[in-house]
Amino acid sequence: MAEVITNVDVRRVGEAAEKILNNIGKVIVGKRDVIRLVLVALLSEGHLFIEDVPGIGKTMLAKATASSLGAAFKRVQFTPDLLPSDVTGIYYFNQKTSEFEYRPGPIMANIVLADEINRATPRTQSCLLEAMQERQVTVDIKTIPLPRPFLVIATQNPIELEGTFPLPEAQLDRFLLKLKLGYPTEDEEGMILQRFQEENPLDNLKAVVEAAELLELQKLCRKVHVSESVRSYIVNITQATRSHAGVKLGASPRASLSLYLATQSLAAIEGRHYVIPDDVKALATPVLTHRLIVKAETGLRGQTTESIVADVLSHVPVPVEEKS
Amino acid sequence: MKHWRQVVLYLTTAGIEACWLYALLAIINDRGAGGQLSVPGLLLLYPTAFFLNVLSLWLGWHALLRNIIHATVGAVALLLTIKFQLFSSLPMSDPAWLRALPQALGGIFYSFSPELWILAASGLVWWLGRRLAQTCVTFTIAVAEFQFGLFFLLILFFFVATFEVKLSNAVPLALVFFLFSLVGISIAHAEEGENWLSRLSQGYWLPLLFVTIGVILVLGLLIGSLLTPDFIQTIANAIVWVWNFLWDLFIRLMLFIARFFPEPEPFEMPDTSPPQPQDELGGFKIEELFPEWLRGAIRLGWSVLMISILVFALWRMFSQIFAWMRRRFGGRAEAEYESMPGAFKADFLGFLKRLFYRILGLKLVRWQKKVEAPEISSIRQIYRQLLSWAATQGYPRLAFQTPYEYLYRLEAALPESREPLEFITQSYVSARYGRYAPSEVELDQLKESWHQVKQNRLAPPPGESAK
Repeated sequence: MAEVITNVDVRRVGEAAEKILNNIGKVIVGKRDVIRLVLVALLSEGHLFIEDVPGIGKTMLAKATASSLGAAFKRVQFTPDLLPSDVTGIYYFNQKTSEFEYRPGPIMANIVLADEINRATPRTQSCLLEAMQERQVTVDIKTIPLPRPFLVIATQNPIELEGTFPLPEAQLDRFLLKLKLGYPTEDEEGMILQRFQEENPLDNLKAVVEAAELLELQKLCRKVHVSESVRSYIVNITQATRSHAGVKLGASPRASLSLYLATQSLAAIEGRHYVIPDDVKALATPVLTHRLIVKAETGLRGQTTESIVADVLSHVPVPVEEKS
Repeated sequence: MKHWRQVVLYLTTAGIEACWLYALLAIINDRGAGGQLSVPGLLLLYPTAFFLNVLSLWLGWHALLRNIIHATVGAVALLLTIKFQLFSSLPMSDPAWLRALPQALGGIFYSFSPELWILAASGLVWWLGRRLAQTCVTFTIAVAEFQFGLFFLLILFFFVATFEVKLSNAVPLALVFFLFSLVGISIAHAEEGENWLSRLSQGYWLPLLFVTIGVILVLGLLIGSLLTPDFIQTIANAIVWVWNFLWDLFIRLMLFIARFFPEPEPFEMPDTSPPQPQDELGGFKIEELFPEWLRGAIRLGWSVLMISILVFALWRMFSQIFAWMRRRFGGRAEAEYESMPGAFKADFLGFLKRLFYRILGLKLVRWQKKVEAPEISSIRQIYRQLLSWAATQGYPRLAFQTPYEYLYRLEAALPESREPLEFITQSYVSARYGRYAPSEVELDQLKESWHQVKQNRLAPPPGESAK
């Protein structure tokens, strides 16, 4: 039987999450729900895919997250001429030592920001596959493990399509969550102007949780109890996406696993030692939408992956008592 | 819940079970053991198992240790039972009864011997005593015990009447059964705050309890004096006369119709009987194929199968009747009813499952971990009642709604009960998904909250109010 998280540990996760949330909140105005999802990804050791228009704060969010963790942070600006070796690093011949030496690429960091990931060629995009799934890179014939925790935050602009390469399904499936920041409200926008008037708050942001502690918190989250009924509910949802009339390719078993892990993390953040169906519902959209491929006719009817997930959620029965 | 009321509830539940157990054991004694068994002696195992389990729970022993001690004490108790039932003439110090024991126990595979009946009856009584200790007696449990006991007693009385079994004290037994049942249900109902005992006269609870008992006894005596054997015989004769009259009419009608058909030509049937196997096999008998112990086991298995089919058929029949009654009366807002699974199915299937695992020794530890705490069952039961109550008022929970989503709907319809509704939902969610077993105080608070919610009526759904 799986080990169960204690109340003390749940409190510990909740307090750490609150600290990170407040720290990121010093830079990002509002958007607490989105920051909470970032925390879910952090605690699940999953990767984030942020799709939104320019100037919303995608890069700022990634940087603030890295700064809050006291973790090594690297940014890669993806362009059409970027090569895989620019990301993974290379072996070069050192004339002084007369040996081949490895020069690490920007992937050798705890948090990697892959900015505008869809601007790189599929070849370069694919160099992230091994890193994201197996937490290692293979350069020439040598396999090098990546530092832990390892988190890729990729951004994409949905408006500009010229000179871009859509991400392959295998790549998308490796992202735990897909987020949209959205425009700030009127008050929030005013507060942004006020906050950034004199200096960038990101410059003074201090780490509140160390990377090593994050690894411990991740392990604690895996002990959150998921009842059999909730587990079945998760499976039923992903299976329902496969049989949905408007879907060409449904969610994979990896999607089920991602949803399972993400709900555990969310429950711990909320201060619970068990997962409830509300957690599943809250995370179904960010976990599943980027993994579905809709039929052409479905798209023409104006249906999106979001509406399909909403449709699935409104049809799959929640495990609750039947009336007596 | 006050401690002494819980004690009374346990006593009444034990009384209900003891009544039908007594009838069952008396029948077994008469038909299976030839009157060799002492029914009160066998019933002594019931309180022994109960108090042993209560003690082990109170001392907070680990489940494994508890099981080992139960198995050990159970085996010793069984041994002593067999000694006093079958070898009562021999003194305890005489080892002769111990030497005779293996032979006596070995005979259970060959026939329905008294030893077999003692084993089966002791096991059942011991299990029931232990089960009672692990049960939190609520209104639902009390009603379920009553329903099951009544159903079972009826079957037993039918058996007694059909096979002319000696059961001299059937009427007092039935009266005692009803007495325990009604008192138990009244107390349990009073605890959940729904009857005259709690609402009108909470301060005079004990006197009213005695009044209730008195009323039941007086009613029982009245009915007993009215329903004399002569009176019952007269009614029975009338029924038989009506039946014979109708049967006679039916036969006459059949004969009348038969006159219109031509009579068949008589012809001789060819001899199609198979050749006698004894002749071909040289006097070989089929019985010689199987040893006696195997035939005994097959007979036992066959009997169990037949009894199972009979019980299943009865259960299906009664579940259909109950389903019809639920459809008929379920629509009434004030109606409270217990589903068939609550009354019989869960207990019966649970017993079979446990028996199966015990016999095969499979997955016992895993199954025990899956057993739900009685407090969790109580919470789930209360939540089911809430769902039924809200559904009858036009607020059914939709299949895709989570408990919290449903809570928002209910709160909108019943803003004055916001807090109790939240408390019930929160308790249910932590029990259902988090396996959290609440304390007795929390369980009482939950019942109180449910009681508060029930006092009000939900606002009509938006669609209905527009009409």
